[in-house]
Amino acid sequence: MNNKVKVIPCSGIGKVYGLMAREAALKTVLELCPEKAETICLARIVTGDKEVTDKIEGCDCITVDGCPQMCASKNVSIAGGRVIKEIKVLETVKEHKGKKFGSATQLEDSGEIVVSEIAGKIANIINQNN
Amino acid sequence: MIENYAILPCNGLDKCAGVISREIGLKLCKNNHNEIICPVFARIADVKYHKITDQYPLLIIDGCATRCASKLALEKGFKVSKKITVTEEAKNNHLELTNTLKLGENENALMDIILNKLATPEEKAAPTSGQANVEYHFDYETFQNGKFLFRVPKNPEIYYNENDCWAYVIGNRARIGVTDFVQQNLSDILYFTPPDMDAEIEQFGEVGEIESSKMLIDLISPVSGKVVLINDTLIEKPELINKNPYELGWIAELELTDFESDKEFLIGFDKYFEIMKKKVEGLK
Repeated sequence: MNNKVKVIPCSGIGKVYGLMAREAALKTVLELCPEKAETICLARIVTGDKEVTDKIEGCDCITVDGCPQMCASKNVSIAGGRVIKEIKVLETVKEHKGKKFGSATQLEDSGEIVVSEIAGKIANIINQNN
Repeated sequence: MIENYAILPCNGLDKCAGVISREIGLKLCKNNHNEIICPVFARIADVKYHKITDQYPLLIIDGCATRCASKLALEKGFKVSKKITVTEEAKNNHLELTNTLKLGENENALMDIILNKLATPEEKAAPTSGQANVEYHFDYETFQNGKFLFRVPKNPEIYYNENDCWAYVIGNRARIGVTDFVQQNLSDILYFTPPDMDAEIEQFGEVGEIESSKMLIDLISPVSGKVVLINDTLIEKPELINKNPYELGWIAELELTDFESDKEFLIGFDKYFEIMKKKVEGLK
């Protein structure tokens, strides 16, 4: 087991906010904090894959949810992860009222900006945590 | 072009095969009138997604051999029409996939191959009736007694009762059947009486009958649950139980109701194999 913070987005697919959650998580673990954070596939968590549930049990996790169902946060908690921060994409989106963020498959510039903001917030939490 | 599928990709995040599953799903939806299913949200959005899967044939796209999307479909009882596993397609096409999440030449080539394959009309399958199209793989140990060969699956997902019935458990569902000991002992099986669909079966309750020229036996269910699928083929061809009581001659599938409790009264391969050998030797 490593000490990396687990950044786990929802499996949101088919809507732009799900895409933004995923992209923000990937930007964090691949670009901003590759040494301190990693991501884990939520579908593997909910299907009870032992390899990944062992990885998150008792570990610091940051969840990123694209819709109010909060699938990532709920399921990570159920699987035993310690959710130190629930990121809600919609909270950041609200700060950019009236903008077009893109589609389920492609982000527009405003969408990319929101993703960068969310990833920045997550990176700050990770850096403060270490 | 392919159209009107309900598409359930695993939407995997930690391997490039999962990313490919997602990209294929999205491409199919972008270019056609397909509906995409969010794999995790599907667990709680019963009404929404059952409506879609009732309307369209379901295409499952798993990234890796963990087959999360298949497991989720099984858990929800979705009817499955077609399944693709990205890593298998890569292997079949001799394409090595990257260890990163960034899609390169091989990954894009594989996506094109899969999309082309799906675009071929004959590749689009009709929906099955009530069957969650899970793949059951059996890994056998054998025991020879005279001219009789007994095969017993040793997969850890398979549980046995001492009545020589097995249950292959995946998620909240189990496929059940009899072992080689039963079919060898009965000799030529002539009749199969299935359980009723939707019947609630208790653990060690009857889940059908099979009859040979030698005897009639009740099938004793290793697990409790609701009958959700019957191997109807056996009604016309009960001899399939003799031919292969695992892959071909399975009896039914049950939606499990209390497997954790049931498990306490079941045995695994090691114990059953020893019991069966003793039974075979006792027949001499």
